[in-house]
Amino acid sequence: MSSQERTAWLFTAPVLAIIVAVLVLPVTLALALSLTDYSIYALADWDNVRFVGLGNFQELLRTALFWRALANTALFAVLGVPMAIGASLGAALLLHDTTVRWKALWRVALFAPYVTSVVATAVVWRFLLNTRFGLINYALSWLGLPPVDWLGDPHASIPAILLFVTWKIFGYNMIVFTAALSAVPQDLMEAARLDGASRWGRFRHVTLPAIGPTLLLASVMSVAGFLQIFAEPYVMTLGGPAQSTVTVLYFMFDEGFKWWNLGQASAVALILFVLILTITFVETRIGKRNQWL
Amino acid sequence: MLMGDKGCRRADRVTRRSVLAGAAALAATSCGPRSASPPLRFWATSYEGDYAPHLMTAFTAATGIEVDVQSIPSTAAHEKMLTAFAGDALPDVFALPSGWIGEFQMIGALAPVPSPDYVADVLPPALALAQVKGRNFAVPWSAAPQVQFYRRDLLRDAGYETPPDTWEAWREMGRTIKRRRPDEFVFLTLLNWPDTLFSMLYQTGMTMLRDQDTRGNFRSPEAESAFAFYLSLFTENLAPRALSTEVQDAFAAFAQGRYAVWPSWPSLLLDLHRRRAEIPRERWGVARLAGPKGPGPTAMIASNVVVSARTAQPQAAWALVRHLTSTATELRFQQLIGNLPARASAWASPQLQMPVLRPFAEQMRQPAMAPKIVEWERIQIEVQLVAERVVRGLLTIPHALAAIDGRVDQILAKRRALVEAGRIA
Repeated sequence: MSSQERTAWLFTAPVLAIIVAVLVLPVTLALALSLTDYSIYALADWDNVRFVGLGNFQELLRTALFWRALANTALFAVLGVPMAIGASLGAALLLHDTTVRWKALWRVALFAPYVTSVVATAVVWRFLLNTRFGLINYALSWLGLPPVDWLGDPHASIPAILLFVTWKIFGYNMIVFTAALSAVPQDLMEAARLDGASRWGRFRHVTLPAIGPTLLLASVMSVAGFLQIFAEPYVMTLGGPAQSTVTVLYFMFDEGFKWWNLGQASAVALILFVLILTITFVETRIGKRNQWL
Repeated sequence: MLMGDKGCRRADRVTRRSVLAGAAALAATSCGPRSASPPLRFWATSYEGDYAPHLMTAFTAATGIEVDVQSIPSTAAHEKMLTAFAGDALPDVFALPSGWIGEFQMIGALAPVPSPDYVADVLPPALALAQVKGRNFAVPWSAAPQVQFYRRDLLRDAGYETPPDTWEAWREMGRTIKRRRPDEFVFLTLLNWPDTLFSMLYQTGMTMLRDQDTRGNFRSPEAESAFAFYLSLFTENLAPRALSTEVQDAFAAFAQGRYAVWPSWPSLLLDLHRRRAEIPRERWGVARLAGPKGPGPTAMIASNVVVSARTAQPQAAWALVRHLTSTATELRFQQLIGNLPARASAWASPQLQMPVLRPFAEQMRQPAMAPKIVEWERIQIEVQLVAERVVRGLLTIPHALAAIDGRVDQILAKRRALVEAGRIA
């Protein structure tokens, strides 16, 4: 080892030590835990812990609620990611237009929900979504539509929570897109306009390739975020009605911290980790093919 | 001692610094009888936690021991206490509902009650709920049997002075009220509140678990009748298909007449007192819950005071338990928050002879005995989840009962293995 290499190791050692202590070690332990039947009985006596191999995973595959949680989470991601990114991109494009005045004010107003507390906003949204007195049903009644039991109907609960989540988080990606849009080359845009490209044509062939990498980043982060959705259903519906908003992370929280089945909960965490890793891998492959990376 | 004396002496020489130092020493030692130990920590949930500081002034005055009270939200109490135990952060003394005593005793969180005279004067049902295999790990503090609160005015309009005490007649009353007020509901029992359904199950006299509490026993005619009755309240629109997250203020809904009957607990007495501007005293009454053929055992939550097995100050901790569960303190708590005392001698007080408390006293003599196993809290929640699916039309009752048995067997798998191995009884 050269002295330069040694110095490099010396400088990185503190960070590496912290990473090992707070990341590598816990993850390894969780992995080990997922192969045991650690439960509340283990709190009483360590001798009650047994090595069960893949038993926790087999047990999970037999648990109906786990499958329901997976399906709910998939629904959250499939509907939520396009909704959130679409809203962000739409808002960013609108604000990017040169005719818009008071841009800073609009940006602050649209970004504000992202930095407010989930619990406080969830309470407000529970009032908005109230079947009998809620503003949303009041607006629907103007359009002549019947009231929707947003948080009480198992079919409406996920869309209702998604409305809230989208409103809450779209501001963040909107700011990211705003930055990306300002980097779109103006001369290309003008050349396309002179050549008679339509508004859609300019968006498709000039704007989109330029913001491609940003779009990929936003979608990777959104997918990971939606697969780990927990706080919103926890404060809005407690997983109900009829467990229609129990997500994988909610299921893991219940198993692990409410009932202290840490073996089972670690197995869920591992499955979620593999899922997110796989999806991110696929997304980066798509990105590479489009030469965004 | 030295520090305290110094502080007191120094305060004689008046300079700014010495006054400040003296004040700090005074605050720490009071220059009188001093307590060297850190304050005792005490946890309790909801109203008990909110109002417990009022009980501590007398204790601190008498013993010089400071108590640091923390109020824990009841919805998160179970996981908070378990996590605290795992992280060795349990307080010295805490309030524990009777259903959790077996669980916390099993994991070794509770110190045994040092002497039988702590529980000498406790009402037998409350004591029975608190004991684990005949041993005392908790001192009963209050007892809360489930009863019904009803709107006198709404019932009278429908021709009833008091609610009938059989299921059939009770539901008939509901129909009569519903006919007069079709836009409102009658029974306030929400789809994530398991207690009403469990009271119905207890009233049928069924045994919910079998084989030494290692398997579900829900596929029985009794459970079927209780489920059918419970379901009928929703299919006839007498109760709302709603969760507690949707009914933001259940009390206001009751006060506004959106519901005429509310199966609930003594803690509601405090709400009724604090919010008497919303619903005057003459508009509500209390009665025992209706049963299949008359009142029977209903769900009962007894609150107990327990001492952590790892407390560093056991003597002070038990002194606090003695203070909190004394007749005088229990009567004061009854006055403050409506809690019903667990001590028999407290019930002899004129304060407890109010007519409104009579249904509670009667119901308390007939408590339902829940199985004392670690998994019971979870089983109750899972049974209610299945019941919710039945009410929402996603399952039929026979399928639901089979699903419950399957789920209960799954939850009890670990316990079954341990019982079969002879590691637990």
